[in-house]
Amino acid sequence: MTTVPARVAWLTDTLLAPATEGVASAELSVLRADLVRDLQALGAELPAGERLQMDGYKIRTAHRNPERCMSFDTFVPSPRSTRRAVGVVAVNRCVHGHSPSPAGAVGDVLAEGVEDVSVAAATAGVRAPWWASWYAGLSGGARAVVCAEAVTWATQLLTAVHWSQVPRPVIGGRDDWWPCPGGTPIVLKGRAEVRSLVGRRPALLVVGTGRCQADWRIELGYPGLVAALGRDAPVAPCRVVGVWPQSGQVRVLPVDVGALRSTATAVVAGVATWVDSRIEAQRRGAPGAPDAVAVSVDGAVA
Amino acid sequence: MAAVLEREGLLRRLRGDGVPRPAIDPGLAGGLRDWLEDGLVEAVAGLAPGIDVVRVNKESLNQVLLCEAHLVARRNAPRVATVELARGSMVDALFRQWVTIGVIDDPWGDALAAFEVEGDRDGVITFVTGLPATHQRRLRAEVAEHATHISERWPVLSPAWLPRTQERLEVPLCGGRVVLAGVVDLVLGGPAQERASVCLVELKSGARRIEHRPDLHFYALLEALRSGAPPFRIATYYSGTGELDAEPVEEDTLVSALSRALDGAIRLCRVSSGAEPERHPNQLCAWCVGLPGCAPGQQRVGTDVPLVTAGRAETDRGQA
Repeated sequence: MTTVPARVAWLTDTLLAPATEGVASAELSVLRADLVRDLQALGAELPAGERLQMDGYKIRTAHRNPERCMSFDTFVPSPRSTRRAVGVVAVNRCVHGHSPSPAGAVGDVLAEGVEDVSVAAATAGVRAPWWASWYAGLSGGARAVVCAEAVTWATQLLTAVHWSQVPRPVIGGRDDWWPCPGGTPIVLKGRAEVRSLVGRRPALLVVGTGRCQADWRIELGYPGLVAALGRDAPVAPCRVVGVWPQSGQVRVLPVDVGALRSTATAVVAGVATWVDSRIEAQRRGAPGAPDAVAVSVDGAVA
Repeated sequence: MAAVLEREGLLRRLRGDGVPRPAIDPGLAGGLRDWLEDGLVEAVAGLAPGIDVVRVNKESLNQVLLCEAHLVARRNAPRVATVELARGSMVDALFRQWVTIGVIDDPWGDALAAFEVEGDRDGVITFVTGLPATHQRRLRAEVAEHATHISERWPVLSPAWLPRTQERLEVPLCGGRVVLAGVVDLVLGGPAQERASVCLVELKSGARRIEHRPDLHFYALLEALRSGAPPFRIATYYSGTGELDAEPVEEDTLVSALSRALDGAIRLCRVSSGAEPERHPNQLCAWCVGLPGCAPGQQRVGTDVPLVTAGRAETDRGQA
C-alpha cells in the first residue's frame, strides 16, 4: 500500500472539504453592482481608446510596487514566464496517465510546441501555444533552461496533491474572464492552476511564487472573485487554496461574501492605480504600454 | 569522505545504498522553526521600521560570520566579476543542462545561451566576451573540460527520481521579517512519507573547501523547514576532479546548521539596523575591499592596500 505524505494528504483534504461558507445570490448581485459602478467610473477616466485588462499579476503589482505600473514593459518571454504554461500541460499529462514523469511530459510538450509552430505556418487550422514560436527560435542551451524551469515547476505541483483523490481535476484549463458591463473598457481575468468540484461549487488551487506575502488574501481572493462574477451564486467557488512550493506554505481562503467584498475593494484600488498610470503616461506622451502587453509577466495569454 | 566516482558509483553514493533512510520525526521541523523564531525575537524587534526583509543566504552567512565589517564592505562595493565566478556560473548552467536533457553539444555556446535567455543578470556574457582572446580561449578550454567530466561521469538520472534543478528555497521567519533563502543545484526524490526521501546536490567547479560543507548543512535545514522533512543525504560534486562529498543528514547536522544560521541571522539583523559592524581580523583581510578603512585588518596584514582592488581583477584577467 502506498502511503501519502502527510502534507500532501492534508492539502488534498483541505481542497476537497465540504463547503462551509456560501454566497447568497442577493449578496453577490449587490457586490457585482457595486463593482460595476466603481469600475465604470474608473473606466470613464481612462484616456480615450484605451482598455485595461487586469490579471492577478497586475493587481499585485499595483499593491506592492505601484511605481512599476508606470514602467510596465512590453512582455518578453523567458524561462520563468513560460514554466507555468508548459508545466500545467505536463502535470495534466502525468495526472491522466499519459506520461510517467514531469521530465518526460515537459519534453513532450515542448517538442509538440515546436511542431505546432511549423504546422501552423502552413495551415490556419493549427494554433501553436503562445510560447512556442519564441521557444522554437532558441538554441540548445537556452531550450535546456526553459525545460529545466518547467520541470521544476511541474514537479512541485505534481507532488503537492494526491491526485487520485481529486474528482475530475481541471489542470490549467481556461482562465475566467469578466468584462465589466456597459461598454466599460476594463476586463478582469482570473486564473487557477487546478479546479475541482466540491458539490456544484469549484474549489481552486493556486500556485504562488517565492513565499506567501502579507496580501495573500488578495492573491487568492482575486481568482475567486473573477470566477464568482461570471457565475450564479450557487456555483460560485467555495474556496481558493494557495500553495507556495518554494517556501512550503499553504493558505486557505473560504470564498464568502466578506472575502469577495474585500477582494473587490482591493481590485478597485488596483485598477485605480493602473488608470492613474495610464493618465500620467498619456500626459507625458509615453506610449500606452499595458495595452501593448500581449502576455502578462506570469505567462498569461492576453 | 570524498571519492572520484564513475556513473554507477556516483549513483550508489547519492542513493546511500546500504544505509537505512532515517524515519521522519513529524515534530522536528516545527521545533526547529520555533527555536529559530524564539532566537530571533530580540534581533527582529530591534530592526529599524524602514527595513523590509533581512535575507539570509549562504553568501551573507559566510561573510557575516567571518567578519561583519567585511560583509558591509562587500555590500557597498561594486560587484567584481572574476574568471572563477564566470567559470562557476557556466559550469552550473551546463550541469543543469546535462541533468535536464542529457546532452551538451557546445559547452561555451550552450552556457552563454543559458545566460542570455535568463537576461544575464550577473553580467557573465559581458565579462567573458570582454576577456582578451588568449584568456577567453583558456576559459573556453576549462569550461569544455568540466563539461566533458560531467557528461562522462554523471549518469542520466531516471525521471522517476524527480530530478529538478536550481530549486529555490525560501523560509520566512518572524512574520517574514527574516527570510532564509537558497538555490539548490539539484534536488532528487519526492516528498517524504515515513522516511526521508530527498537528496540535495551542490556542484562546485573550484577546489574543495571546508566552507562548502556548512553551505550544504544550511540547505538541509532549509529543506527540513520547508517540507517538514530533512533530506536523507546531501552532497557536493566537484566537476573539476570528479570528487563527491556525500553525507547523511542527522539531527546533529540540522541543529548545528540552525545554531550557525541563527548566529548569522542575528548579526545580519544587527548590521541591517545600522549598528557598527564588529571587526574580526582573519585570513581573508588582505582581500577585503574594506581594508583601507579597517585598522584591525591593516594591523593583521601589515598594509592598508587590499589585494582585491590592487590586483585581483587584473590578476583574474591575466591568469585566465
